[in-house]
Amino acid sequence: MSKNIDITQAGVEVKKSACYFCHQNCGVLAYVKDGKVLKIEGDPEFPTNQGGLCCRGNIALQHLDHPARINYPLKRVGKRGEGKWEQIPWDQAMKEIGSKLLQIRSEFGAEAVATAGGTQRTDDWSRRRFMNLFGSPNGFHNSHLCWIPTFMVETAIYGWCPFELDMGSSRCLILWGQNPGAAGMPEMHHIRELQEKGMKLIVIDPRFSETAAKADLWLPLRPGSDLALALAWIHVIIFEGLYDQEFVANCCEGFGELADHVENFTPEWAAELTWLTPEQIRAGAYMYAMNKPGNIQWGTSVDQIGKPAGSTMHARAILRALTGNLDAPGSDLLTGPSPDFLTDEEMEANDQLPEEQKAKQIGSDRFKLVTWPGYSKIAEQTRKVWGKAPTAEWMCEAHPPSVFRSILSGKPYQVKALLVSATNPINSYGETSLVLDALKAVDFMVTCDYWMTPTAALSDYVIPIAGALERPTITSSYGCSDFLLASQRAIQPMYERRNDYNFWRDLGCAMGQQEMWPWATVEEAYYAKIAPLGYDIESYDEFVERYRFHFPEREYFKYQRQGFATPSGKVELYSTVLKDLGYPPLPPYIGPTENEIDDPELAKEFPLVLTTGGGFMPYHHSEHFQIKEVRFLRHEPYMDINPATAAELSIEDGDWVWIETKRGRIKQKANLTQGIHPRVIYTQRGWWYPERSMAAPELGGCLESNTNVLTTTADDHCDPYSGSWANRGLLCRVYKVNASDMEGK
Amino acid sequence: MARYAMVIDTRKCIGCHSCTVACKVHNELPVEMIYNPVTTVGPTGVYPDVQMVHIPLLCMHCDNPPCVDGCPTCASQRREKDGIVFVEDSKCVGCLACVMACPYGARYKNHATGAVQKCDFCKDRVDIGLKPHCVNTCHQKARIFGDLDDETSDVHKLVNGENACRLLGELGTDPYVFYIYGLEVKNP
Repeated sequence: MSKNIDITQAGVEVKKSACYFCHQNCGVLAYVKDGKVLKIEGDPEFPTNQGGLCCRGNIALQHLDHPARINYPLKRVGKRGEGKWEQIPWDQAMKEIGSKLLQIRSEFGAEAVATAGGTQRTDDWSRRRFMNLFGSPNGFHNSHLCWIPTFMVETAIYGWCPFELDMGSSRCLILWGQNPGAAGMPEMHHIRELQEKGMKLIVIDPRFSETAAKADLWLPLRPGSDLALALAWIHVIIFEGLYDQEFVANCCEGFGELADHVENFTPEWAAELTWLTPEQIRAGAYMYAMNKPGNIQWGTSVDQIGKPAGSTMHARAILRALTGNLDAPGSDLLTGPSPDFLTDEEMEANDQLPEEQKAKQIGSDRFKLVTWPGYSKIAEQTRKVWGKAPTAEWMCEAHPPSVFRSILSGKPYQVKALLVSATNPINSYGETSLVLDALKAVDFMVTCDYWMTPTAALSDYVIPIAGALERPTITSSYGCSDFLLASQRAIQPMYERRNDYNFWRDLGCAMGQQEMWPWATVEEAYYAKIAPLGYDIESYDEFVERYRFHFPEREYFKYQRQGFATPSGKVELYSTVLKDLGYPPLPPYIGPTENEIDDPELAKEFPLVLTTGGGFMPYHHSEHFQIKEVRFLRHEPYMDINPATAAELSIEDGDWVWIETKRGRIKQKANLTQGIHPRVIYTQRGWWYPERSMAAPELGGCLESNTNVLTTTADDHCDPYSGSWANRGLLCRVYKVNASDMEGK
Repeated sequence: MARYAMVIDTRKCIGCHSCTVACKVHNELPVEMIYNPVTTVGPTGVYPDVQMVHIPLLCMHCDNPPCVDGCPTCASQRREKDGIVFVEDSKCVGCLACVMACPYGARYKNHATGAVQKCDFCKDRVDIGLKPHCVNTCHQKARIFGDLDDETSDVHKLVNGENACRLLGELGTDPYVFYIYGLEVKNP
């Protein structure tokens, strides 16, 4: 498609588009003629990727018109999952779905309609707006596994999440369970450049990842034991006098209580729990505390360890505060929300959801931090200082496993309809057997997607969604950054695909919400968002073409002027917000979700420790297995196992093996590697096989190699603060697949 | 006159295969044809004392290319003006003599056309002042391309200033793809 394309020919326009295959949203230049994209390349002017594109970015044209894409709304005509569909017009689909939802609302209440989302590659403020206007509090994503609990714990402690890293003058960076070498190419490039200038890099990861290979210090801890490491670091930093005395004295509350609390959490104590040596633990604490300013980059791992997650986030947040690495040059910045453009929260119409409906949010009775009880409390604080609240979509959601359970148990009430957008829960939510049973049992299901996924295959309607090159994009860190990057669509959506914005808007309008949806197109809505910035522009596209991004002038030490957005106005090491919600005000030690110390009997049966969920090129979550231009790189799923362990189990490189937990077992191929501890197993996430039958029960082989068959969402395995479930730090066993059971699960 | 060369800085390469895919997609290669595979060596050593390096491979654009010498139809050629080694499709009869002659395994038969193909440094792009696709797409800037004869070029500075080495240099093929290894190697 692009070989020797003459981009200088008459009529070729260059569109400033964005990649949409992960939420880095790298800048892309699209060369367009007569409504067709002739060629794409990385935008060399874009501040993050600077012209680079990863494997996924390069296949934008293969994705755009792939023969397996869903191009028209599909209505089920056979039995659920049978794979028989009728193609219907978009407007008919919206009318039929709308009237079904209205019927469910009148019979069972608005809360009987829930919506499941995926990662942040959608206009989710519009989903929230739809749900608020409809009256249901039960929107959710698997964002519980991805930053959201971290954001809320940190906001409870110091009034916003310091996700903006001022790395230009940083001297030390901690990547805590993050592997930009496989998941964040632009970030990796910047890290390497800064390392050349002398910045130290600490990588905390059980695997010798692409990034760990470049680290100054690699700390391969036992999966799920991050909390012991964080507490021991706090101990070292306090008792060896490495903390920032001035910052702690002037800006922090609860230092004395904290010091008492961590007195016994020595490196020697943590060594046994983390499988690191006391020397390794001390080395990390010294490197971070003695190379100031420094940064702790967020990574998904702590959001995914289940039971100890919330306490770990709290301990990690304390490390920043103790070292004074907050809102100072070169440290992690508390930017707050944008005071200038309309944030996602301001587009969500949260005031339209009645209080009595908020109270019905599933999971909010137990997991209070990212549901209405905790969100309201934290938003009240941030409004006082910043004038604005975090995005409610993401930060205030129903608890996903509890919604799936409510479908099956009717408790606390039965969810009757599920609107699935940009996710394939069978592969991406925890404990697949639960999810699959729930999706089969729910009365009514609609899936918005690019492909016929295992989840789409079980739906009543499948709605075709516009993808990269067909949609404008604003990148603003879940709507919580004070900056934004803007990209335009290269072409209008092909066939009868629409933006997910149009899905929520058209569905809302089909149900009588017209007055609340004044923006006919995404561009009109985006223009409304950015208009308050005051640029001399008359449209969103003009902003993209002339400016592309908005970075406000940076102000350090904002807390000196306005305090921290907490009840005391200080950093609350001892957190009154957590305490008021019924959680411990200081981070208690909690062992990994499943572990050999608390449950030695289980460990006898399942002697190895499992970590799942790490990203790997060229896929993203459960996507892109259809595209042969990347599938050839990794045709089959692989798990990592140390050669010594493999030898004990008579497993050779490339053998198919079973990986089994208490929840079930899956097959992946063995990759023998010295990059992993002899007692640790890593499985790849996301796997299904689109080349197989998509009809039930096969559903694209969605159980065979799907790592979420192994994960757990039981209430007592979830983080009590946020309800995030456990993908890491689980107990498992591994054994060879016999020739006789190569087929089936 | 110029002498094009590529420097691959393995200190920066993370083995993401972006170059492999960009090359394939933009040059419209069949799935089985890979001009520039990335080989990962490691992790070597014993846990936790391990190392890992990624080595992107491609045609070495040799000054003494055995494939050109071995081609009976003069389809394999080396451009005098800039040293790029390429195959003139219309002259290739698919005899595979060049495939056997190349010590780097950098040549592949296209089963659809019958001709042998290989990396040509994206010569059509280079001719109009652009860089090869694999260079443009590399987030990590691990591939550096330019004119080795130009003393101001990055490739000239790297080849002459860093501990750059060539693959199978002992064969006398005189490759124009250079590799830089090791985090500790700095400018002298």
